[in-house]
Amino acid sequence: MSISMALFSPPISSPLQNSNLIPKISLSLLSTKRLSLVSLTRASSDNGTSTPASATTVEAPTPKPVSVEEVLAESPSASENGAVGGEEIDMTTTMMTEIKFQDAKWVNGTWDLKQFEKEGKTDWDSVIVAEAKRRKWLEDNPETTSNDEPVLFDTSIIPWWAWMKRYHLPEAELLNGRAAMVGFFMAYFVDSLTGVGLVDQMGNFFCKTLLFVAVAGVLFIRKNEDLDKLKGLIEETTLYDKQWQAAWKEPESSSSSTVSSKK
Amino acid sequence: MATFTLKSFTGLRQSSPDQTSFVSHVPASPNLANRKLRVAVIGGGPAGGAAAETLAQGGIETILIERKMDNCKPCGGAIPLCMVGEFNLPLDIIDRRVTKMKMISPSNISVDIGRTLKEHEYIGMVRREVLDQYLRERAEKSGATVINGLFLKMDLPENWDTPYVLHYTEYDGKTGATGQKKTMEVDAVIGADGANSRVAKSIGAGDYDYAIAFQERIRIPDDKMTYYEDLAEMYVGDDVSPDFYGWVFPKCDHVAVGTGTVTHKGDIKKFQLATRNRAKDKILGGKIIRVEAHPIPEHPRPRRLSKRVALVGDAAGYVTKCSGEGIYFAAKSGRMCAEAIVEGSQNGKKMIDESDLRKYLEKWDKTYLPTYRVLDVLQKVFYRSNPAREAFVEMCGDEYVQKMTFDSYLYKRVAPGSPLEDLKLAVNTIGSVFRANALRREIEKLNV
Repeated sequence: MSISMALFSPPISSPLQNSNLIPKISLSLLSTKRLSLVSLTRASSDNGTSTPASATTVEAPTPKPVSVEEVLAESPSASENGAVGGEEIDMTTTMMTEIKFQDAKWVNGTWDLKQFEKEGKTDWDSVIVAEAKRRKWLEDNPETTSNDEPVLFDTSIIPWWAWMKRYHLPEAELLNGRAAMVGFFMAYFVDSLTGVGLVDQMGNFFCKTLLFVAVAGVLFIRKNEDLDKLKGLIEETTLYDKQWQAAWKEPESSSSSTVSSKK
Repeated sequence: MATFTLKSFTGLRQSSPDQTSFVSHVPASPNLANRKLRVAVIGGGPAGGAAAETLAQGGIETILIERKMDNCKPCGGAIPLCMVGEFNLPLDIIDRRVTKMKMISPSNISVDIGRTLKEHEYIGMVRREVLDQYLRERAEKSGATVINGLFLKMDLPENWDTPYVLHYTEYDGKTGATGQKKTMEVDAVIGADGANSRVAKSIGAGDYDYAIAFQERIRIPDDKMTYYEDLAEMYVGDDVSPDFYGWVFPKCDHVAVGTGTVTHKGDIKKFQLATRNRAKDKILGGKIIRVEAHPIPEHPRPRRLSKRVALVGDAAGYVTKCSGEGIYFAAKSGRMCAEAIVEGSQNGKKMIDESDLRKYLEKWDKTYLPTYRVLDVLQKVFYRSNPAREAFVEMCGDEYVQKMTFDSYLYKRVAPGSPLEDLKLAVNTIGSVFRANALRREIEKLNV
């Protein structure tokens, strides 16, 4: 079976020079890996030619993992309750080479910035997207850490202005737009109701308070769910203190109270 | 004549136990007629052993009841440097000195911590059975009576000076045989019997949220063991634990690989598999020699004392958040509570009451509440989600952070750093959190 898989791998790699992800197809233990392999070929942009080849190889690992899963499932259940067994970790026996994250631009545990150059300057946007793709891959397929191939990438090498341009500025534009719309409408509304013009509104304490509330609202409540999240946050910040202070409260006449967080 | 004055004293004192227990200590508790104060310590772990030793040294008649003398409590086994000095631990109790730590983020970015440690600083790894036995022996040498028995329940006294009646099963060293049911009368009780404390149940101390810590002890080949010679690893990530971390800690001749969780206890096996997977290359070829699990309290019980019974250690819930450290705080609280009893009873001459024990609570909260609060904030902020954990690991690479973290861990003091560095740290933290969250938004865009 591994031989047949090896036969498959060369045709995949040769026609593709800019492939994002070259899966090392082999025995996969958990079923999620098979699913993510298929979804991965969908997600990667220029892996078109590899899809038919990898789709057929997906079938191949199916019979093997079942037996391995069974063995692994047995050992934890057999050794429950502190029994001193001599269970061998099945890693040596399965000879798994899992699908690891691979990318042409990921060299020695970090992104090779030279490969991201566009017109002589590093295209930081594509570095950010590449790192996001790597993290997404790892979230779906957790990998072992290894001393031979340590991950050394540090997001702080991407300059602050690249982050600003990509994330802060669009959001700031959105929020400022909202604030401006709310502000304009409220100014008009208050003016029509009370006759107080914009300049006089700014001098009034109540109007200044309303302005503050409007700005805070735009900043903190961006989605409908944020209201509940904020309430939960406020409760969360005081919960631990309450649990410590419980020893100093008056004991209730009924059975002991429990101050526990609701999860 | 003396008995007459004694009677008038008791008449005065009759009213006070019914009041709320915040009456300032009335120095009118009479001397115990012709005996010393009798205190029972239930549980012979670090808390019980330390409490019993301090009590015995203070001249109090101490009885320590422990159910399993050779208990291998499932435990990380890490003790800070200050514990060695404060409790005069012999250096051969420490199996390993960990001087390097590796923090590994969800995307396997690893950061080495420990560059700032000085020559003599380390985290001590101990075997619980060795440490517990040593502390119990020391208590015995100081004059405590150590009994191998299982505490069952206790009868609460009606008056302020009637004793507590403890019901326990004494094993008398025989294993496997069912022990003898016995009772004992004592004046005060220190509950040091751990997370599932029966003493706590007897006094209605209330419940707490707890985490399940699951650990497998794995014996790995020697060449892989050299990597863990003085290094411990911490893995963070949603796959490893949704609200805690997975670890690989070196022990005497094997490693302990484990993880824990509060909110998803049912998935603990899945998290353990994920932890083993993340460390796979480094523990390949290892053999599981033991599987163990134990609850870890997340916060103190609502009531940590009641009349003349006080809880210490895990029974009280003194485990920190974020790191899950409990051994030092157990021993220290045992000692603090015992000191309060010794002082309140004037070396065993007087009867004590709840206000003496409250002094121990006051001292404890005053000394350690800042530490607990800081760790709680750290857990809330940095164990929330994968981006937060990525930011956490990034921050740990900073030297200032490492220095502050180790200072506060090893010496248990929240040391004030320099304000300029604190400002830089705040800016860096915000930057890391922002970057990690930005990457998370990018990932979500990819999902669409």
